[in-house]
Amino acid sequence: MTLPDYHFLSAPLWLVTVLHLLTLTLHLFAMNILFGGVAITLWSSARNRWGGTQAVDYSRLFPAATAATVTLGVAPLLFLQLVYPRQVYAAAIVSGWFWLLVIAAVIVAYYAFYRASFSGQRSGRVNLAMLALGLAGLIYVSLVYSSVFSMAEQPALIQSLYAKNQSGWVWNPAVGSYALRWLHMLLGALTVGGFFVGMMGQDNPKVFSSGKVAFAGGMGLAAVAGLAYLVSLMPYFEAIVRSPAVHALAAAIVLSLASLHFYFRKRFWISGSALFLSVFGMVSVRHVVRMLRLRESFDPASWRIATQWSPFLLFLVCFVLMLAVLAWMLWLFFGPKKEAV
Amino acid sequence: MHYPFWDQPIGYGVLMATIAVFHVFVSHFAIGGGLYLVVNEHLARRSGDAQRLGFLEKLSKFFALVTLVAGAVTGVGIWFVIGLLAPSATEALIHNYVWGWAIEWTFFVVEIAAAMLYFYGWKRMTARAHLTLGWIYFVAAWLSLVIINGILTFMLTPGRWLVTGNFWDGFFNLTYWPSLVLRTGVCVMLAGLYSLLVASRLEPGDFKAKTVRLAAIWSIAGLVVTMLSQLWYWKAIPAAVTAKALQSMPTPIWFIGISFWLAGAIALGMVVLVAFAPRKLGTSVALVFMALGLAWFGAFEWSRESLRKPYIITGYIYGNGAEVTETENYKRDGYLAQISFRTGDDGADLFRHACRNCHTLAGYKALKPAFDGTDRAFISAIVQGTQHIKGNMPPFLGTAAEAEKLAGYLRERIDPRPLADIYKLEGMALGRKVYDLRCGKCHVLGTASDKSKSLAGQSTEDLNGLLDMAANLGEGMPAFTAEASERKVLVAYLQTLGKGGRP
Ligand code: HEC
Ligand code: HEC
Repeated sequence: MTLPDYHFLSAPLWLVTVLHLLTLTLHLFAMNILFGGVAITLWSSARNRWGGTQAVDYSRLFPAATAATVTLGVAPLLFLQLVYPRQVYAAAIVSGWFWLLVIAAVIVAYYAFYRASFSGQRSGRVNLAMLALGLAGLIYVSLVYSSVFSMAEQPALIQSLYAKNQSGWVWNPAVGSYALRWLHMLLGALTVGGFFVGMMGQDNPKVFSSGKVAFAGGMGLAAVAGLAYLVSLMPYFEAIVRSPAVHALAAAIVLSLASLHFYFRKRFWISGSALFLSVFGMVSVRHVVRMLRLRESFDPASWRIATQWSPFLLFLVCFVLMLAVLAWMLWLFFGPKKEAV
Repeated sequence: MHYPFWDQPIGYGVLMATIAVFHVFVSHFAIGGGLYLVVNEHLARRSGDAQRLGFLEKLSKFFALVTLVAGAVTGVGIWFVIGLLAPSATEALIHNYVWGWAIEWTFFVVEIAAAMLYFYGWKRMTARAHLTLGWIYFVAAWLSLVIINGILTFMLTPGRWLVTGNFWDGFFNLTYWPSLVLRTGVCVMLAGLYSLLVASRLEPGDFKAKTVRLAAIWSIAGLVVTMLSQLWYWKAIPAAVTAKALQSMPTPIWFIGISFWLAGAIALGMVVLVAFAPRKLGTSVALVFMALGLAWFGAFEWSRESLRKPYIITGYIYGNGAEVTETENYKRDGYLAQISFRTGDDGADLFRHACRNCHTLAGYKALKPAFDGTDRAFISAIVQGTQHIKGNMPPFLGTAAEAEKLAGYLRERIDPRPLADIYKLEGMALGRKVYDLRCGKCHVLGTASDKSKSLAGQSTEDLNGLLDMAANLGEGMPAFTAEASERKVLVAYLQTLGKGGRP
C-alpha cells in the first residue's frame, strides 16, 4: 500500500504567499500599536508628561491590543510553517527553551497589561511597574524572534550550532546578522505606536506632541537602521536592488512620508492607511530578503502543488464571514447605546 | 528525521502533557462557560434578576481573564510545543490540514473579539445586543472545536485517508462524531464545575442554593452526555487498535475503565449535593468536584494518547518521528542516512531519533535502570526487538550495525557491575531481578506473553538447554548472555514460576 505523501502545498504558492504577507502585516501592525503604545505611554507617564488620566485611558486598550496581536499572529505563523517548515522548526528546535519561553513571556505580559488596565484611576507606581513588566515581556519575544527567524535563514549555521549543542539553550551567536534588523523592527514599532498615540490624543496638545515625536523620530531612525541592515547584507544587497523588491521598498518609503504628511494635518484615516500599506511594502521586502538568503539551499517554488479547493473555499467563506461578524459586533458595541437608567 | 532533536532533560511526554492538559481544560471551559453565561443571562434578564446579572458579570471577568489569556496563549503554546517535539508529524498535519487550521483561525478571531466585547459591554450595551454577542461568542468557540476535533481524531483514526489522502476522508474519520459529542459534553460539564466553584464562594442563602443547583444540573447533564459518548467512542475505534492496546497496555485500558466510573461517581455526588445541601456548599467541596472532573478528563485524554501508540499519526508516523513510508529506505540505507542533522556521535544521534522521544536515560521512562547490569549483546537484541516489549513501541527501523552502535552508546552509560552488586541481592530475589530485566520486558506475567506455562515442570538441565538456544525460540527473542551466577539463580527462579505465582 502506498501511503499519501505530505510534501505538497494545498494551494498555489502565490496564493499562500499573499495570505502570508497580508496576515503578517496585520499582525505586525497590531504588535506595533501595542509595543509602541506601551513604550510611549510608559515613557510619558514615568516623566509625568501628560498629566490627567490619559495614560490610564490608554492602558485600558492594551489587553485588547495584546489579544489582537496574538490572534493575528497565528495565521502568518501557520503559513510560514507551511512553506518553510525545514527552516523554521529547525531553528526553533535549536533554541527550543528560548522559543518555548516566548509563551511564558506573552502570558506574563498579558496579565500585566490586564493588571494595569484594571488599576483604574489610582494609577501610579503599580500601573507603571505593570506596563514595564509587560514591555519587558514583549522585548523578550522580539529578541527571540529576531534570533530564531534570522537563524532560519542560515541553514549551515543551524547545522553547526546543533552539532555543538543540542540542549535547546542556543542563542543565535551571529548577532551581526540580526541586530540591525531587530533595531529596525523596534523603531518601526515606535513609529506606528507614535501614530496611534497621536491619533488617540489628538485633542490634547501634550499627548499629540509625544505621539508626533515618536512618529517622526521613530520613522527617521527606523529608516536609517533599515537601510544599514540592507547594506550589511552586502552580497544580497545588490540582488535586492536588482529585484522587484526595490519597487516595494521605494513605495513603502514614499507611503511612510505621505503618512507623516497627513498625520501633521491630523487626517488620521489617510495617514493610517498609508502607514499600513507602507508596512505591507516592508513585509514584502522582508520576504524577498528571506528568499534571497535561502537561495542556495531552498526554493519555495519547488513544492509540489496538490490543491484542496473545497476546504480552501470554505476558508474563504469563513474569512468573509469573520469580517462581517467583526463589523457587526463592533456596530453592536459602539452603535445603539443603552438607555440611561 | 529531517530535523534537529531537542535534547531536553524533562522528557517529551511530561512537557507535552503539562501544556496540553492545561490548555485542554481551559479551552473546553472556554466553550461551555460561554454557553453557561449567555443562557443564564437570558434567564436572568427575563425574570429581571439583578442579583444574578451581577453574578454573571463577575463570572465573565474571571472567564475573560482565564480564556482569553491562558486559553488562547496556551493554544498557541501547543503549536510551539508540537513543532519542537514532533516536527515531522506537525509538518505532515499542516500540509494536509492547513485550510482546516485557517478556518479554525477565523472562528478564533471572532471568539476572542466577542469575548472581549461581551466582557466590556455589560454596562454600555442594550440587553439584546449584549445577548447577541454572547451567542456569537459561544457559536464561534464551539465551531472551533468542530474543526480542531477533525484534526485531533484524524491522528488516532485516519481511516480511509491512508488510502485516498483526501482532506475530508481524514477529517470526518471514524471517531469524529463520537469525539465531537463527547467533547461538547465535557464543555458543559466543565462549565458546571467552574460555576460551582464560583458559586461556592457566595454568601449562604437562597441565591446560593439556586446557583449551586443550576451549576450541578449543568455538570450532571454534561457528564451523562460524556459517559454515553465515551462508550460510542470506544466502539468506533477499529477493533485491531483496541485489541492491541488491551493486550500490551493494561494501564491505559484500566484507566479508561476507572475514568468511566469516576464520571459516574461525580454525577452521583452532584445529585446528592443538589438534593441535600445546595446552601451549604463550601469551597473545598467544590474544589474536590473540580479536581475529580479534571482528573476524569485528564485520564480520558491520556488514554486516548496511549491508544495511539506506537504512532503519532496511526499507520503513518511513529512516535519517534520515523515515517512508515520510509521503512524500506531506513532498512536499506540505514537510519543514520535519513537523519539530516548529525552531531558526530552516531550512537547519540540514533538514541535521540529512535528512543528519546519517549524515554530519557535516567529521568522520565528511564532506560538506565532497564539496562543496568546487562551486556551489550542483550541491549542490542532489545533495541532490535522493541516491538515485542510491553508498551507498544515502534520497531527499530535501522540496520543491525546501527542497533549495535546504539547498544554501545547505551552500554557506556549504564552501571556495568553484576546485578548482585548493584542491587545487593542474592538467591531467589536475585533470580527474580534477572527475570525482570532479561525476560519480563517481553513476557509480562499474567498476560498473553506470559511463558510460565511452557516453562512449568522443566528440569534444571532443560531450562539451561532452553537458555542456551534462547535466540532460536522465536523471532525477536534475545540470546541469553548473562554470566553463570545470574543464569543459575534465574533457572531456580524459573522453576518456581510454573508452580503458581511468583515468589
Ligand atoms: C513511541 C514511544 C516509544 C519509543 C519511540 C520507544 N519506546 Fe521504549 N517504551 C515505551 C513505553 C510506553 C514503554 C512502557 C513503559 C512502562 O511500562 O513504563 C517502553 C518500555 C521500554 C523498555 C522496558 C522498560 C522496562 O522498564 O523494562 C525498554 C527497555 C525500552 N522501552 C527501550 C526502548 C529503546 C531502546 C527504544 C529505542 C530504540 C525505545 N524504547 C523507543 C515507549 C517508547
Ligand atoms: C525482546 C523480547 C524478549 C525477551 C527479552 C525474551 N523473550 Fe522469550 N520470546 C520472545 C518472542 C518474540 C518469542 C516468540 C513468540 C512467542 O512465542 O510469544 C519468545 C518465545 C519464548 C519462549 C518460547 C515459548 C513457546 O511457547 O515456545 C520461551 C520459553 C521464552 N521466550 C522464554 C524467555 C525467557 C526465559 C526469557 C529471559 C531469559 C525471554 N524469553 C526473554 C521475546 C522475548
